[in-house]
Amino acid sequence: MKGDSGSRPITKAFSNGGIGYLLGSSWVVLFIFLEIIVFSLASGAFFSMETVQLILFNGTEVFLLAIAELFVIITGGIDLSVGFVMGFATVVASKSIVALSNVGLSPLLSILLGAVLTILVGLLPGLINGWLVAYLRVPAFIATFAMLGVSHGVSELLTQGIPTKNMPSLAGDIGNGSLLYIPPSGVWSFFSRPQVQRGQHVWEIIPNMAVFSFIFIGIFAFVLKRTRFGRHLYAIGGNMDAAIRSGINVRHELVKTYIISSFFASLAGITYVMKYITGKPDAGANMVLEAIAAVVIGGASMAGGSGSVGRTILGALIIAILETGLRIIGLQTFTTYVLVGVILIMAVIIDQSFPSLKR
Amino acid sequence: MPSAKKGGLGEEDDLSESKSAVQHGFFETGFGKSIARNWALCFLILMTMVFSLTSRGFFDIVNFQNILHLSTGSFLLAVAETLVVITGGIDLSIGYVYGLASVLGAKVMQVLSVAGLPTVSVVLLGCCAAVVASLLPGFVNGIVITRFKVPSFIATMGMWGICNGVTLFLSDGFMPVMGAPEIINKIGNGFVFYIDPGKSVSFFQKPSYIADTNIRQLIRLFPNSLFLTLVVLLVVSFVMRRTAFGRHTYAIGGSMDAAVRSGINVNRHLVVIYTISSFLAGIAGLFNLFQTGIGNYTPSGANYELMAVAAVVIGGASLTGGKGRILGTAVGVLVLAVLENGLQIMGVSAFYRYIGVGILLVIAVVIDRAFPDLF
Repeated sequence: MKGDSGSRPITKAFSNGGIGYLLGSSWVVLFIFLEIIVFSLASGAFFSMETVQLILFNGTEVFLLAIAELFVIITGGIDLSVGFVMGFATVVASKSIVALSNVGLSPLLSILLGAVLTILVGLLPGLINGWLVAYLRVPAFIATFAMLGVSHGVSELLTQGIPTKNMPSLAGDIGNGSLLYIPPSGVWSFFSRPQVQRGQHVWEIIPNMAVFSFIFIGIFAFVLKRTRFGRHLYAIGGNMDAAIRSGINVRHELVKTYIISSFFASLAGITYVMKYITGKPDAGANMVLEAIAAVVIGGASMAGGSGSVGRTILGALIIAILETGLRIIGLQTFTTYVLVGVILIMAVIIDQSFPSLKR
Repeated sequence: MPSAKKGGLGEEDDLSESKSAVQHGFFETGFGKSIARNWALCFLILMTMVFSLTSRGFFDIVNFQNILHLSTGSFLLAVAETLVVITGGIDLSIGYVYGLASVLGAKVMQVLSVAGLPTVSVVLLGCCAAVVASLLPGFVNGIVITRFKVPSFIATMGMWGICNGVTLFLSDGFMPVMGAPEIINKIGNGFVFYIDPGKSVSFFQKPSYIADTNIRQLIRLFPNSLFLTLVVLLVVSFVMRRTAFGRHTYAIGGSMDAAVRSGINVNRHLVVIYTISSFLAGIAGLFNLFQTGIGNYTPSGANYELMAVAAVVIGGASLTGGKGRILGTAVGVLVLAVLENGLQIMGVSAFYRYIGVGILLVIAVVIDRAFPDLF
């Protein structure tokens, strides 16, 4: 259902340029400012450096899953499995780390090996998704839903209903640590918290897991924007026929896309394990909504061919700020669901109203 | 919809060798074609036979009634989804509308029975509240989809979040809502026929001389829930096959443009379809309340809406729209329900069911793709 609501008179006045154009094109940024203002007015505790860290800390999974979803949506597909592939990854990561440290490896080595193993195993769902979509021509919705079921089932079988326990405490230290610590003495230290007297405040700048995820997000932003593969994805999403005729190996590129998607879902799983030192199948169950919402708020079209990493991160930030802000002012989780749902619909309506703003 | 694009990929000649490779021999014959067309039904029969032979207690009238009784909600949700899928859309909100209706109905009944109203009016008002509330999400979905041209996937996903939030609000987090009158349980889990062999037959109520503890010596036939399911299936199936409304629905899914040109009021029709979908989900939720006696929120990761889509696809509908039968969907629901029940009775972990559903779905689509001219 492609809309051309541009013919409606109200929106025409806006799309002619000027202030309306500006509002329409950068409403995501404006909305972030609005959120910050509203939350700051609602609670004195919101406007602070700690909140920024908290937003990054809470938002890590959504950032990663949104990027996972973005790659698939650009090609005109959808990946419903990211949430449960993430859950699968938390189970694989936590189980393998516990197993490796039980064998007698040092905690650091077992965490590293466990993470690598998780990423390798985590490529598998994407490979199968891609194969189903590209080679068996199963609609992406069905193929990835099937994978959702399979990864849910497998991870439930692995855990037998009990979230993983006995993770090495180093995992939690890494997952809840920060990149930079600034004690009152002014001597910066990286990754390890300096010893200070009780009651003295240490600034903690950027959670480790946010650093970890933004490294990968940065790399793949480059891949999407600057490489031939990235351009192919937009071509496939824009017009599949034209992409085939222009000699792009659509099948290969689609398989790669779904592999990237489940790679990012596995990364989200690893960050979850490090932050909460446990693994459970439904860790990412409700995050599919947030991931897709972030991509769509970031201006991508579900029909494919548009979307960018930067805008997706802005979309994810809207959700992360909303979630953390609501928690700080003491509202319960359910308000987040309602507001994310409303913003998601509003985002598309706004984008439909400004058809001239093709990104 | 993303799936529409995949159809485009299929038209490309060099990509469809796999299609022609399968298409010869046995499946060219009339008998073969009808097997391929009704593979879900054949699979259902086959599965029933296998489970009957391998697991004790499966082939039993009590168990079969149990399967039907427990899948009432799935039937209604899948019928709702079928209507939307035939128009070429998708409704992701039904799972949470289901939860919303259940929790809201229970909440209203709880409040009213505390207020001391007579049981009949408590139940009736609770049902009315739940049904009326369930119309709203669908109506809003329809308006957002038709007036604002938001893709159905996004619009209903937004509604998914909204209904989820409202349900959590009503149920104070994840607490089931209790306190509804007990009579609803009797209605929800009752049977039409109670037969005491050789002594008596009574309708809707067990004979009063039999204590609750001895209820197993009665033969209970035809659960009330089956009655509800059959009514919904037959009415919707009739509407889709025999009325102008049904033909218009298929026309919209087949080609939106053609439907507009032939003078169908597509926007109004779609609003009605999404409202019916939401209404059926509400009825399903309300029935869940009657079945369990408590208002159940939809647990995270339950994916009722996706299970409904799975049943619809296994039943032979296509996500690109214009194709699908209500009775096919019913077979799809039964395939999933029998699979779950059979695995449970065999003592296989319930989690294999998720995997089984995934594999079945893919098989459904691959068969559908392999025989494009059959359907």
